[in-house]
Amino acid sequence: MSKPRSRWSAIVIAIAVTTLGCGGAPKPEGRVASSQGAIRGAAEAGAEGVPRATLHMKLAQEQREQALELMKSGENHRAELLLARAEADAELALALARESSAKADAEKVDEELEALSKQVEE
Amino acid sequence: MRRASSPMVVLIAVLPVAALACASARPPKELIEAREEYRRAEAGNAAKLVPAELHVARGALDTAERAFAEDPASQDAIDNAYIALRKIQRAEALGNAALSMQDKASFEKSIRLTQQELLTRSTSKLKNTEGALAKERDSLAKEKETSAAERAARVEAEKKAQDAMDALAKNLAVKSEARGTVITLAGGLVFATGRSAILPGAQSQLNQVADALKSQAEHHFSVEGHTDNQGSDRINDDLSLRRANAVREYLVVRGVAAAAISATGFGSSRPVGDNKTAEGRAMNRRVEIIVDKQP
Repeated sequence: MSKPRSRWSAIVIAIAVTTLGCGGAPKPEGRVASSQGAIRGAAEAGAEGVPRATLHMKLAQEQREQALELMKSGENHRAELLLARAEADAELALALARESSAKADAEKVDEELEALSKQVEE
Repeated sequence: MRRASSPMVVLIAVLPVAALACASARPPKELIEAREEYRRAEAGNAAKLVPAELHVARGALDTAERAFAEDPASQDAIDNAYIALRKIQRAEALGNAALSMQDKASFEKSIRLTQQELLTRSTSKLKNTEGALAKERDSLAKEKETSAAERAARVEAEKKAQDAMDALAKNLAVKSEARGTVITLAGGLVFATGRSAILPGAQSQLNQVADALKSQAEHHFSVEGHTDNQGSDRINDDLSLRRANAVREYLVVRGVAAAAISATGFGSSRPVGDNKTAEGRAMNRRVEIIVDKQP
């Protein structure tokens, strides 16, 4: 009676050890998608055309690619952090694009106001 | 001896361990940067304009601090500090964007106000111009009316004057010359020889002349006295002037404007007939009334 029970225990332990041996952390599929979305969003906002944002776009893409490679070798924990870094860089690029665009918009309106003020003075 | 040396041994053993601990507790440069960046963000636009974003960044920084406290030398600590730094930078960029948007809104408001001011000015200017135009139009219309009335009056007056001159021409010698219309009164019919008093028989003719002259408003009249060459020039000059004055005064009494009529005596200096013949001398004894061409 005790032999089959110990056999089952051994199987359970073996499975647990195998799983933990594979890196422990599950594949960060959510981060893969969200980092991709962040990069796409920044690109759509024109971040690649904003000098200060370009570097962060490049970093985001590189880190994401690096993370995907690590996932292939099962290094999921490190991959997840790299994906989070990529996402943070992409989100920063998007914010920099917005900052640049808002600044340009304000400057344009300021110029219009200045031209109008000159008309008033005339 | 054995007792005294044991604390030293412990100290010697602990010091390298403590030194190693201090060395490993030194934060990664990403965390140092994140902390500095957060201090800047707290004092900048992010804290004022996008506090929620800065709060998110603060959360990331706390995570990084925890990771560092758990394992200062780990890659996790570096990665979390890197992520925190980016989130803080993001909050700052969004804060700057919010400030620009505020500026833009403020500029747009100023534009609207300025446009309103310009519009008010233009409207006021337009109203003034319209008012001035309306006045000008009224003035022109009145002028036109006046001008038409004046023209009609002038035409009427000219017609009346012409009619009067035509009527006069039936009884008196009236001719048109370069100097104007000349009405000639025969001296023998108006004055007794050597006298300057107007004969009663001539008054009817002079009345007609006065009426005709009155219809020639705005014209100037010259009364010229002439004699034949009988007698001295001094006497003839004097007589011709007295006769011219007598006619002038008569016409003034009859209503011709005194300021519009002058009198001159020419004596025998401007004969129109031959002084050798009685007929010629009779022609020379005359009073001429000239209606000047120019009013």
